[in-house]
Amino acid sequence: MNPIERLGAWVIASIEDLGGYTRFTARATWGMIRPPYRFRLLFKQMEFVGNQSLSIVMLTGAFTGMVFAVQSDFAFGRFGARGLLGSTVTLALTRELGPILTSLMVNGRVGSAMAAELGTMRVTEQIDAIESMSVDPVQYLASPRIAASILMVPILCAMFDLVGVIGVSYVATQMLGVNPGPFYNRMEWFVDPDDIWGGMMKSAIFGYILASVGCYRGFYARGGAEGVGQATTRAVVASGVAILVIDYFITLILAPMSVNRA
Amino acid sequence: MSDIRLVGLRKAFGKQEVLRGLDLVVPFGKITVIIGRSGTGKSVLLKQLMGLLRPDSGSIFIGDTDITRLPEGEFRKVRNRFGMVFQNAALFDSMTVYENVAFPLREHTRLREREIRERVVASLASVGLADAIDKDPHQISGGMKKRVAVARALIRKPEFLLFDEPTTGLDPIMTAHVDELIRHTQDTSPGLTSLVISHDMEATLRIADKIAMLFEGRVIFEGTADDVRSTDHPVVRQFVEGRLEGPIKV
Ligand SMILES: Nc1ncnc2c1ncn2[C@@H]1O[C@H](COP(=O)(O)OP(=O)(O)O)[C@@H](O)[C@H]1O
Ligand SMILES: [Mg+2]
Repeated sequence: MNPIERLGAWVIASIEDLGGYTRFTARATWGMIRPPYRFRLLFKQMEFVGNQSLSIVMLTGAFTGMVFAVQSDFAFGRFGARGLLGSTVTLALTRELGPILTSLMVNGRVGSAMAAELGTMRVTEQIDAIESMSVDPVQYLASPRIAASILMVPILCAMFDLVGVIGVSYVATQMLGVNPGPFYNRMEWFVDPDDIWGGMMKSAIFGYILASVGCYRGFYARGGAEGVGQATTRAVVASGVAILVIDYFITLILAPMSVNRA
Repeated sequence: MSDIRLVGLRKAFGKQEVLRGLDLVVPFGKITVIIGRSGTGKSVLLKQLMGLLRPDSGSIFIGDTDITRLPEGEFRKVRNRFGMVFQNAALFDSMTVYENVAFPLREHTRLREREIRERVVASLASVGLADAIDKDPHQISGGMKKRVAVARALIRKPEFLLFDEPTTGLDPIMTAHVDELIRHTQDTSPGLTSLVISHDMEATLRIADKIAMLFEGRVIFEGTADDVRSTDHPVVRQFVEGRLEGPIKV
């Protein structure tokens, strides 16, 4: 194949892959809406997503908040605007860093685990077994995982925000000597509940993406343990990139609205 | 009371033609064994019967009903008539033995827990595994897994029981045991039709009512165990005797 043919083959394969992903995700989403509803599986998955990620998300949140406080103090200090530190960092945390870093962390732990688990079930014929017993394997396996991720990633994001803000406040007021009065005052003044809600909404979308990509890759894994490993890696990379790209477009669309608000 | 009839079945994956116009009747109430080398498309054949794969052309009849091109929703009802034991048992490793066998009941019936338990215990007892009920799949041996898989496949009393290489990877004693289980299940389940996929000639000769040999995508020989023993068909002879030279290329 010459390079142009190779590029063409790659484009066609990517489009087919995207088509496959879209069909799979549509089927899984429809599976959440129509009966049977398997609440036991949903709760089990919610517990899994939460348990897997809570400590790592909180750790990331705390250190992100703390390091951001130090860096911003350095920048604001030059303009003598240290009083803005709390509000600025909190806005950045709730609107961007919370949703993005939470989703990337959950992606690394949960998206990959979903790809590996479904991939293993595929290559050991457990998915065929489900289907052979007249149960829709997409609805049985993917729907509860994706639903759980949509519900839990925003909650984890809120935890990230909370711990992050505590981290900022601690470093700023206790270590950097920022005056607590204006610090909290400005923070309250500038940060709107909508910022937090907006961030949580975004994380719900990211949760949808990372779980559906993880399930899709696992569901169609081929070729033994190696295939499962490949599916897992591809899932994590694809979701990570998709989350960052989609975040940009959501922000672009939502930015004019928040300008109007201010 | 239905036979299964496969007519001119073809299936290819890309350029690789796996089934090339396969014809076969699986008679009601008997054990039919399909035998052939690894990679000749035996599992692909079973998966098409259950609609897990669709043939490129040809037809599959159950009794007089053509199930080949049923839409997915309709096929789900057809699958209810089948039970399948997969090559490596395919037990759900996130569930206990009990939950594995209970799975079809939980999904398809509204039985109470007590009734489910009764039926699971009975089903496990019929394959001689009553005491493994609370174990996890990774705690039991390969032969026991196979038996759990049989219990799971039987629990909703299917008309057709399909086995994909039930004894591959088992030691000789366990192999004899599983063969015995297949024969026993067939003989004690009125209205059951069994279809077994195998590459183990000896076991096949022991349990089969009918033997079909799959070679290069077609059935090239059909008959009873005695027919197989007495035939001079070169492919069958080579397979029976396990010789290296002959029409089957290694
Ligand atoms: N889903 C699939 N996609 C592509 N090729 C497949 C698929 N399933 C089976 N094959 C190929 O078809 C051939 C027959 O496979 P199989 O039916 O599993 O053989 P066996 O007779 O050992 O059970 C093999 O070469 C296998 O690689
Ligand atoms: Mg096979």
